[in-house]
Amino acid sequence: MSTSLSPGFWAVARRPRWIGALLLALAIAAGFSALGQWQLARSVASAPVDRADTETPIALTSLAEPGKAVTDTQLGRMVTVDGTLVVGDYVVLSNRLNAGTTGFWLVGHVSTDGGADLAVALGWAPTRAQAVAAEGSATIASQLIGRYLPSEPPDQPDVDKGVQSAASIPAFINQWSHFGGSAYGGYLVATAPVAGLDAIDSPAPSQEVSLNWLNVFYAAEWAIFAGFAIYLWYRLVKDVVEMEREDGAQTATVE
Amino acid sequence: MPSGPRPADVPRVRNVLRVFRVSAIVTGVFLLLLCVMMVLRYGLLVDIELNGPFGFLALTPRAQITGVDLSTAILIVHGWLYVVYLGCDFLLWRFVRFSFGRFLFFALGGIVPFLSFYFEFRIPAYVNDKVAQAESRVAVGAAA
Repeated sequence: MSTSLSPGFWAVARRPRWIGALLLALAIAAGFSALGQWQLARSVASAPVDRADTETPIALTSLAEPGKAVTDTQLGRMVTVDGTLVVGDYVVLSNRLNAGTTGFWLVGHVSTDGGADLAVALGWAPTRAQAVAAEGSATIASQLIGRYLPSEPPDQPDVDKGVQSAASIPAFINQWSHFGGSAYGGYLVATAPVAGLDAIDSPAPSQEVSLNWLNVFYAAEWAIFAGFAIYLWYRLVKDVVEMEREDGAQTATVE
Repeated sequence: MPSGPRPADVPRVRNVLRVFRVSAIVTGVFLLLLCVMMVLRYGLLVDIELNGPFGFLALTPRAQITGVDLSTAILIVHGWLYVVYLGCDFLLWRFVRFSFGRFLFFALGGIVPFLSFYFEFRIPAYVNDKVAQAESRVAVGAAA
């Protein structure tokens, strides 16, 4: 095959038509890259937003209203509550883990100064007897500090065989001797336990910045597509080169 | 202008055609599901929920979904099936050496509803035609 009849790759690539095609391919690749950038931005933007400080206590009255379920932004906040313990209104919950050990929670009934009812987990004990014993001497500071957590689903009487282990606000309301009519939708885990009990381990809600991996993945795909646009241009030029070579070879054999 | 497969590529073409036919049907089915899902999501503002609180299959507003979001699953699966379809289209284009425009036209099979069911038999017929032409050319060349 003679060289005069078979143009090299760059000879074809330099033709105006293929320079135009290259510009088009580059424009498409740029467009795809922009889409990839957008997906990368989305992968961060659509990840759960880093929540504000949950550890500085704020007044419960400024955070939540009685009678409303706990929202995502309220969950796990440290709050302060002004109120008094309702004497005699205690519930002991079984099967509560504290640092890996199963034990019991003493849950008190606080009547807030705002006139609402709030369940407060007062402390943890390894035995039921110790939890019950703490009832007699239980006192709370006039301003209680604790973490605000959502009500748990109530126990199933037939499944749990009468063992109460869920911190369920509706269940507590049924057990309280006195109920003012409006209870908070969540309960408080008191930071300082009452005398005779251990503090309940209640870690701050996790705040890891999580990427949205689906979007990261789409971004990678757009990068591949952008590369493919350039490759297609290369392939099309190469096709022309090969075609002209074969044409040249055929002409050569005919002559 | 030379077009049509090189003799050495003919077995490859046949293999790709086999994958292509399956891909065309499966991608076509998911494209129809995708249309249903788009109408539900952007028309009626609900997604298809699998195994959620409202039954095994339920139409639920997107924010309330706790089970498996089948609408999003359809979206993703169709995307991947289309990648396979495009891969077959690309390989056929390379091996059979038809025009770039035709490559783009065949690519529409994963985007235009029902088109892939037509392509499922039409493209193999077209490709087999090209293979037959190429083989007759070789036979003529050998005879001459």
